[in-house]
Amino acid sequence: MAIPALQIKDVSKDFGRIIALRGINLSVDPGEFVSILGRNGAGKTTLLNIISGVSQPSEGSVELFGSDPSDRQNKAKLAVISHEMFLYDNLTAMENLEYYSRIYNVPDSAVRVEQVLRDIELTHRRFDLVSTYSRGMTQRLTIARALLHEPALLLLDEPFTGLDQHAIGMLINLLRKQREKGRTILLTTHDLHTAKELSDRFIILEKHRIVKDGMMADTDPDKIRNEFFSASTAGVEV
Amino acid sequence: MRAAIAIVKKDLRMEFRSKESILAMWIFSLLIFVIFNFTFEVSRLVMLEIAPGLLWVAFVFSGMFGLNHSFALEKENGNLRAMALMPVDGGQIYVGKFLSVTLIMLMFEALIFPVFIIFYDLQLSLQTFKLIPVLLGGTIGFTSLGTILSAVAVHTRNQQILLSLLLWPLVSPIIIWSVTLTGMVLGGEITASFYPLLTRVVAFDVIFFTLSYMLFDFILED
Ligand SMILES: Nc1ncnc2c1ncn2[C@@H]1O[C@H](COP(=O)(O)OP(=O)(O)O)[C@@H](O)[C@H]1O
Ligand SMILES: [Mg+2]
Repeated sequence: MAIPALQIKDVSKDFGRIIALRGINLSVDPGEFVSILGRNGAGKTTLLNIISGVSQPSEGSVELFGSDPSDRQNKAKLAVISHEMFLYDNLTAMENLEYYSRIYNVPDSAVRVEQVLRDIELTHRRFDLVSTYSRGMTQRLTIARALLHEPALLLLDEPFTGLDQHAIGMLINLLRKQREKGRTILLTTHDLHTAKELSDRFIILEKHRIVKDGMMADTDPDKIRNEFFSASTAGVEV
Repeated sequence: MRAAIAIVKKDLRMEFRSKESILAMWIFSLLIFVIFNFTFEVSRLVMLEIAPGLLWVAFVFSGMFGLNHSFALEKENGNLRAMALMPVDGGQIYVGKFLSVTLIMLMFEALIFPVFIIFYDLQLSLQTFKLIPVLLGGTIGFTSLGTILSAVAVHTRNQQILLSLLLWPLVSPIIIWSVTLTGMVLGGEITASFYPLLTRVVAFDVIFFTLSYMLFDFILED
């Protein structure tokens, strides 16, 4: 059997007295696209932080490709897209991408930088400071930055929240391409229909636990909504 | 070293573009020099006594600007988290940040020193070159500690207060020795204790740098 891209065993996480995650078990195969659904405060972001190694679980263990998330070769395979931009406003798009391609030791970096700039349609603005960009442009650059080193595992934390339509369309296309290339993708979202469109599999986090783990193909998003995000438990847009 | 060099290049590029740190350092230091030169009517002898201390007050407070600015840049768009995600040793990231802050501070010191000499009408001689290891030693002590403590403080709300609270007690021996050494050179009285004291500064630099280098991985995590 192949080594799973991600293997989580009995993970719990507390912040002092606040419970964030309880008894999480999850195995994701290479090439799978998994959507993580759940209300605000369910623990989605915490789970992604533990997977990326920036946060340590209080209990349990996490392995990426058979080894610790903090191993350097794992970090080189990983990309995170969240509400944080990971960009320097006072550098141009080009300078930001060149900086990160050096950090990630991207082979043929000049070619690769050009390619991602083309993917996000920012080539014509590549020599302008990020501080002069519109929000949508900055968001596109954030996506390009994350994909620069061809990550094998992508973690996206509500990547569509706050994006404009143009950026949403672009991100969906890029994610489809990533999936065709066999990348493993985990994505948290409120948007059940986009989740259905993109992913093979979904899990639902509720009250810090995984309450459902199923395949998207056999699932009707409206049914999930009624079952897990019904109107009586308001506060979530789905 | 690839990542450390990339960080230094990025930081220096941004500094030369905005000149934010250097400008703040200049304004602050000139203010100190002007105030102490024109406000207090003291004899030349007394002035010679306090000039080395003034010089280091200017350096050290300017260094605080440099440190705060350098880490504000990393905080602004979650870049500190991006650093925690990088496939490189925390030590390399530390070296990158340490070098960029140190270089900016040293550049500033080289620029402000002539102004200082003119303000206080000090005599230059061949001996003055002995200041170079003193300035290097004191500055590196300050920045090696300041870099790691800034990374600790940047996670907290009262970043600048915490940085001061952590940094001053630890760095003050180095600064006090550097003032003494600077006084010896500027006063033209290099005594037998000069080299042992300088050695002590360098020893502290090595200790602070090595410890920070090893510990930086932990600091980057939550
Ligand atoms: N750094 C933190 N300190 C304290 N509590 C936290 C921290 N991060 C998350 N939490 C808490 O953990 C729970 C899960 O949060 P989170 O993972 O952000 O949920 P989600 O991303 O699903 O909205 C929440 O109750 C949240 O308040
Ligand atoms: Mg969240």
